[in-house]
Amino acid sequence: MKVYSIYILNKAGGLIYQNDVNPGLNRLSANDYLVLAGTLHGVHAIAAKVTPTINGKEVATNEYPNNQNAILLASGKLQDSNSNKSGLQSIETDLFNLYIFQTLTGIKFILITSPNPVVHNLQQINREVANKGELNKQYAQANEIFKHLYIIYSDYVMKDPFYSLDMPIKSSLFDTKVKEIV
Amino acid sequence: MSKSSKYNGDDIWKNNVEKINSELFTLTYGSVVAQLCRDFNNNYHEVNNQLDKMGYNIGLRLIEEFLAKTGVRRCQTFRETSEIISKIGFKIFLNIVPTIENWSSDNKTCSLILPEPNPLTEFVELPITTDSKISKELWYSQILCGVLRGALQMVQLDVDVNFVKDVLRGDDRTEIRLKLNKVLKDEIPAGED
Amino acid sequence: MSNDNDIILSSATSMSTLTINEVSKDGFGYNPSVGPQSNIITPEASTFLLSSKKSIITNNPNSIYDKNIINKKNLEISLSSLAFLFCEMVNWCHSNSKGIQDLETRLNGLGYQVGQRYIELIKLREGFKTNKREVKIVEILQFIHGTFWKAIFGKTANELEKSQDVLNEYMITDNVPLMSKFISIPKEYGELNCSAFMAGIIEGALDSSAFFANVTAHSVPITGYPLRTVFLIKFDDSLSIRESLRS
Repeated sequence: MKVYSIYILNKAGGLIYQNDVNPGLNRLSANDYLVLAGTLHGVHAIAAKVTPTINGKEVATNEYPNNQNAILLASGKLQDSNSNKSGLQSIETDLFNLYIFQTLTGIKFILITSPNPVVHNLQQINREVANKGELNKQYAQANEIFKHLYIIYSDYVMKDPFYSLDMPIKSSLFDTKVKEIV
Repeated sequence: MSKSSKYNGDDIWKNNVEKINSELFTLTYGSVVAQLCRDFNNNYHEVNNQLDKMGYNIGLRLIEEFLAKTGVRRCQTFRETSEIISKIGFKIFLNIVPTIENWSSDNKTCSLILPEPNPLTEFVELPITTDSKISKELWYSQILCGVLRGALQMVQLDVDVNFVKDVLRGDDRTEIRLKLNKVLKDEIPAGED
Repeated sequence: MSNDNDIILSSATSMSTLTINEVSKDGFGYNPSVGPQSNIITPEASTFLLSSKKSIITNNPNSIYDKNIINKKNLEISLSSLAFLFCEMVNWCHSNSKGIQDLETRLNGLGYQVGQRYIELIKLREGFKTNKREVKIVEILQFIHGTFWKAIFGKTANELEKSQDVLNEYMITDNVPLMSKFISIPKEYGELNCSAFMAGIIEGALDSSAFFANVTAHSVPITGYPLRTVFLIKFDDSLSIRESLRS
């Protein structure tokens, strides 16, 4: 998986950071990036409202343990810091994949990466399994990057007295650390 | 839950936190408080306010590291919140674990009892003077109240935080009172379930 | 104390001019001839202490007077807590300052008070081990660069050099200064270096040891170490006379 771009959105959906870490994507105009950020923010929120129902009742999607705090208290071990569960999580196309990570405070980290690897005809029989495996693998990789991104954000952005909350991030140290991650 | 929590934030503290000698922190904080006392001409109410403000600004930022390094989820009750604050929050930032007691019947107000020594007040004594103004007015560790208020606000909890007792003033213990005003439901980001 | 409102006053900025008979107006600082100013017992203070019911020797088992400060177990704390506090210190100094120079002076002042106290503590602990007092510039610098740095920042500093051009000037280099580890200085702030706080710590420590000096922090980045900082230590001229007597 190759990471093309990293965006960070504040809780109002404003684009506060963008870094095209690897070439491969067409550059958009500055305004288009803002529109993209705002749109993803909106679609993410709407998606959270689209939930399957059975006989008019919402079905709880219990993919994640909801006793995570109890596990944290009991084990003292780091848990998954992604709180994006019912919102838009990923978009997959033939040309790129896009992943969204959201913190409990409402900040969004967005990754645009290379698409899922092509599954050849030979593997047709196992296509579903293989595809899912690759998919999960890439999703897990993205989540791993998010986890580190969030930590360096809390170090190099939050502890910089020259950064104002919700404003664009200009820290050169943060840029360096982002490059080290991907 | 409390019985199983003997590990507290130990694993995170051991493996995911860069540690320093607490004395540098203690002396630095002392230097700040003394400087503020000078800047405000020993108007300790102003000093308390300023410490609270600084703490608040810290809280708004510190919450991100807290979430990034723990993966805490939204708490279901304020009791759960208080336990997380004490066993995980205080542990990974100050390496102390305050006890929680004095719950009000509606479960919205409680006290955090800070253990001694703690990294803010180690070696600290308020000056002995003929005038007891300083020990009546100054809340030396007021910054902590601001931190808690700011951090909780970022996860949509409107909370009042203040000191009611301080060992430095001659009290038997150091006690912070936490009061949940309300959960700002409208501001909870979309996408959590 | 003449005035009850003046319990805490500004600290001495330089002590090179103090004499034995001098009592610091400020109640702070260390006069090597008499000890820490803040502990001086004036007639007024002694009357108060003697008549006060609140004795400084308390019954509290946690009292700092009952603990052994030399072999006290070292508590640890997260670097983040210090970094967040420092962030607010920079903000506070910034909002009160008239410019970059002023901001650095304020940070230096905050550090100065830390250095004054820390050197006492470290000397007390290390002094028992080494049983030695540094009397020469090179010795005290080695102490600051090594033992002192290690005790405060958890590592020794990187380089210690003497200026080629200027007498009485020395440089201590730290590739990753602890307090500024997370701070990126915006371009419009030019030469600002928040390690001025650390410079203040060194200055306070040196002044307290009667090696009167001015210490400033300067960014000298190299590849791999964007935060590399040189602490320029300018000793008072009077020291060169003293030094020549001792050599």
